[in-house]
Amino acid sequence: MRDALVLPFLFLTVFLLAGARVGASIALVPPSVFSLVLGTMLVATLVRSGALSPDALLHGSRSVVANANGAVVLATLFGSASQVLSMLTPRSGLPLFFVDVFLFVLLLNTLVAQPDRTRLLRSLAVIFGSTLVLKHVLLAGLSDPSGGQTRRVLVALFDAATFGTIAQEPQSAGSGYLAFLSAGLFLAGVATLPRTAVVSSSTHLTRVR
Amino acid sequence: MKDSVIRPAGLVASLTYAAIIAWLYVSQPQTVAQVTGGFSSMVGAYTVDSVAFADGLRFFRAGQFPEARAALRRADPADRDAPAQFYIAYSYYREGWGRLYSDDVLFGQGLAAVDKAIALAPGGRLAVDDPELQMHSADELRAELQRGLTREAADFNPLRVFGTRK
Repeated sequence: MRDALVLPFLFLTVFLLAGARVGASIALVPPSVFSLVLGTMLVATLVRSGALSPDALLHGSRSVVANANGAVVLATLFGSASQVLSMLTPRSGLPLFFVDVFLFVLLLNTLVAQPDRTRLLRSLAVIFGSTLVLKHVLLAGLSDPSGGQTRRVLVALFDAATFGTIAQEPQSAGSGYLAFLSAGLFLAGVATLPRTAVVSSSTHLTRVR
Repeated sequence: MKDSVIRPAGLVASLTYAAIIAWLYVSQPQTVAQVTGGFSSMVGAYTVDSVAFADGLRFFRAGQFPEARAALRRADPADRDAPAQFYIAYSYYREGWGRLYSDDVLFGQGLAAVDKAIALAPGGRLAVDDPELQMHSADELRAELQRGLTREAADFNPLRVFGTRK
């Protein structure tokens, strides 16, 4: 039930929601090429940390249909991971560059450090939460055209000092909620993925009487 | 439920959902009517409102172009009917045509509508058999709209004032 229905629907819904750009009209934007790279790294990190067991989704001992279900889960996981990372990245200027570099280094570091599943999930929640706050609270606040006159002057000065590379396109009020929902659903989906069985590296001795 | 039922059903449902999402990404619908119209046209169940379409034609022939477009859009809320889109484009052409210059905004909207009509027509070929019109094919209308949007030396020809609206 989990890999046949729940996970594909969850990840596909995330792909749909995270790709929506709400403005005067709704546009569905596919993930950028760099987000695909980040998505690949995220899936690799999930596998290495044991949060995702590929054997539980694709294996020679499983039936063809079961393997097809597993392949759909993997494909939708990759697509939604890329789309969520694309959604959390600012759209232009220096913030786009720095957040892309930040995510790349962070995911690379996590991939190499090989944390366990629980630590990885916590780390992902922190990464997603911080980028969400950066894009949908801080940068959205700076770009909000309805701010007061003093704020507009300060933002204009700040923008001039940075050669106009900080300000982003104004976002609609719904964008932040949609991003929050997408990130939350994605994390819930990742937590539900079939995990690798933990094998203890220590030996337990039992006294036999 | 049995695994042998859930797995194939889940696979079909997931692939269907993925296909719907792919269609949404490609077609970029803006209204609920466009979404539902798109799905119903996929299964061949989409029809235009014939009464609203007739109203649109009546307004079009009377030269009431904004009213004609409103009625035609009501007839084809999902923008899935090639003839309706053709008449919408034609109404933009007739409204925007002028002896001295044409209205670029209206011609631009007309071009967008005729492109939609061409995309909807089978094989991209659309011919409307209406004796009231001087241009019967979407290709002619598209070329005329494009000519109106292009700046060229012929635009400054004084004989242009003797031209006629098609």
